[in-house]
Amino acid sequence: MLDIESTQLEKAVLVKVAGRLDAGNTTLFQSECDAWIAKGATRLVVELSNLQYVSSMGLSSFLAVAKALQPKSGALILCGLHGLPRQVFEMTRLIGLFPVFDTTEAALASL
Amino acid sequence: MGTEFVRRTLPAHIDALQECFAFVREGARLSGLSDDDMNRLDLIMEEFFMNVARHAYPAGQSGDIELGYAVPAPGTLQVKISDSGKMFNPLASSPPDFSRGVADRPLGGMGIFLVNEMADSLSYSWLDNRNTISFTYPKSEPSGS
Repeated sequence: MLDIESTQLEKAVLVKVAGRLDAGNTTLFQSECDAWIAKGATRLVVELSNLQYVSSMGLSSFLAVAKALQPKSGALILCGLHGLPRQVFEMTRLIGLFPVFDTTEAALASL
Repeated sequence: MGTEFVRRTLPAHIDALQECFAFVREGARLSGLSDDDMNRLDLIMEEFFMNVARHAYPAGQSGDIELGYAVPAPGTLQVKISDSGKMFNPLASSPPDFSRGVADRPLGGMGIFLVNEMADSLSYSWLDNRNTISFTYPKSEPSGS
């Protein structure tokens, strides 16, 4: 239902999230991000092109990660958002709170 | 097709969330709703289901949630969600201030906002010591806001 794959790159950590992010598995995503932040990562690029569903609890976890990064002058960067996930990010105006790019390449090039 | 409700009672616990999705999707399929519509419907169901699972019953005490759907017409689904936990109207909460930045933006409140955007004829009742939410899906007019 949910696949998370993280890779440490030169300028950021790339976190690929695929499937459905709901109340039952949102903590997996947040724990993964928290673990990278605890290790000192300040830039998380989250790739969402294969995300089909995100509920309000999933949305809250993105906000929580962004809150954790802010005091470290870090950034949560989203890419590949489309379909229903993009709609709910737009409706809740979360999309204005994070840098958003169409592709991972564009997100990484911005760093 | 009709106004009779098909009902199912599930434990009000996160472990039953996928079963909640599957049950209401049976109605959505009967109604001929698209996959996209079913995902939006899941979002509404998750909000109400988790609200009951997390807050309706005292910690450590198990409780049930009753789900029901009817298909009054093709492309339309009526849904009811009820529980016998403490009286609580989730529709009464006000949406968060979306103009706030990351630091000041509260984590909660987005779900009920999305429900209001996606569901029609949302109502809450407290009757015979039961909370009941009912709504029609999908929303007849796309929201312009």
